[in-house]
Amino acid sequence: MDARTVVEPGSHIRVEGLTVAYEKPRGAGTFVAVSNANLDIARGTFVTIVGPSGCGKSSLLLTIAGLVQPASGCVLVNGKPVSGPGRDRAVVFQDFALMPWRTVLDNVRFGLELQRWSGEDLTARARRYVELVGLKGFEHYHPHQLSGGMRQRVGIARALAVDPEILLLDEPFGSLDAQTRDEMGQELLAIWEQNKKTALFVTHGIDEAIFLADQIVVMAKNPGRITEIITVDLPRPRTVETMDSKLFIEYRRKIRGCLAL
Amino acid sequence: MTNYRMMVSTLSVMAFLALWEIAPRAGIVDARYTSQPTRVITAGFEIVRTAGFLHDVSVSLSEFAIGFALAIGIGVPLGLLLGRFPVLRYLLDPPIMAIYATPHLALLPIIVVWLGIGMQSKIAVAFVGGVIPILVNSMAGVRGVERSWVVAARSFCAGERDVFVKVILPASLPSVILGIRLGLSRAVLGVIVAEMYQSQAGVGNEIMRYGSEFRTDQLLFNVLLVSLFGVAATSAVRALEEKLWTAGK
Repeated sequence: MDARTVVEPGSHIRVEGLTVAYEKPRGAGTFVAVSNANLDIARGTFVTIVGPSGCGKSSLLLTIAGLVQPASGCVLVNGKPVSGPGRDRAVVFQDFALMPWRTVLDNVRFGLELQRWSGEDLTARARRYVELVGLKGFEHYHPHQLSGGMRQRVGIARALAVDPEILLLDEPFGSLDAQTRDEMGQELLAIWEQNKKTALFVTHGIDEAIFLADQIVVMAKNPGRITEIITVDLPRPRTVETMDSKLFIEYRRKIRGCLAL
Repeated sequence: MTNYRMMVSTLSVMAFLALWEIAPRAGIVDARYTSQPTRVITAGFEIVRTAGFLHDVSVSLSEFAIGFALAIGIGVPLGLLLGRFPVLRYLLDPPIMAIYATPHLALLPIIVVWLGIGMQSKIAVAFVGGVIPILVNSMAGVRGVERSWVVAARSFCAGERDVFVKVILPASLPSVILGIRLGLSRAVLGVIVAEMYQSQAGVGNEIMRYGSEFRTDQLLFNVLLVSLFGVAATSAVRALEEKLWTAGK
């Protein structure tokens, strides 16, 4: 086999010199959300992106999702440049983005329908993912009848149901209360451990970032940029006790330091 | 709770009917002017038996049905298009707003000049009355679609067509139905008033004729007919609407 055809295991997602900019309203020029970002994410790793509001962490994630076009630089997935959304990636949104007229089950079916899945009973498949995220019994509820945590479970099930290689989560627990947030984090990890898809998770919670991650990408603002990449050597599977360990507290101090710069 | 509400509402209707029946008998008002429930009912039985009745009802119903169907058939797609494409909206907004602000009955004389006093002019008035609320609400429905729903659809590789069919259409449906309900009463109004203005047949024509002949019993029976139709049709659309809203929340 030609050496060049071997997929480099070290770069499932590669971000090269990426700059993302938005037009300001009323022609007030452009706002640079992400400036010259470089990043390599290995297959099967859980990477969190942490940073203050306005540091461009969501923009970085949405560019990898193909929902935002870069001003310069590029994103490569499996060595191929990203030009738009693809079946290899699925996104979990901060505001859930569920269709209010669809039931839980039909919301989970949504991605399958759009990606024209066939040769399989879509409802049965959706039902399996509804059960995976612990919503058995709520299949025929509408989103407005569910709590925030349950809504995001639907969002996660919808993303997992299309069997993506890469899971992109944009502050998925940002609007949940602290306790629900911790529970969801633990459950997300438990689901992730089952097949270790590459996961990219944006958050502004330091503990959440450490608890979930193999690697933490720390970002700063004005302009939005990557300032540090920290590898987290905490053993898996992780539990509530992990957060009380000495090592965890040390990571917390280190990241606080990075963010304060 | 609902039973209590029904009881009180029924009570007010009964009280009104009783007063209407008794007041002329007690000599408080003149029945030639006010008529009476029993006289309206008696007149109704006589009218229903006449040969012209079915013809008048079918003329009015056809005018309404055709005009309103056209209003839905043109108003809904056009409204959705205008909501989806801002350029079209900017282009057509001034004329639409101008027609919206104009009482559509003010157009009646010119419509009669163009289309004559037959069914066509009534169909046109029903259409003009119905189409504007349908169009405006369909447009508002599309504009009320949340960006995040569209972005979510795109993240699953949805194209323009998918976004329209899977997001825009279901999301704006409740608003479309609301427009249809609002358009309905304006279309009914259009048909009846157009018939009263210049016509050869129809329930509105009958109302006008009985009025000029000073036959209040028969006149009021026809009015009652129109109002019952309006209530029934509006309730049907409202039931559909409520079903969609509960599903859509």
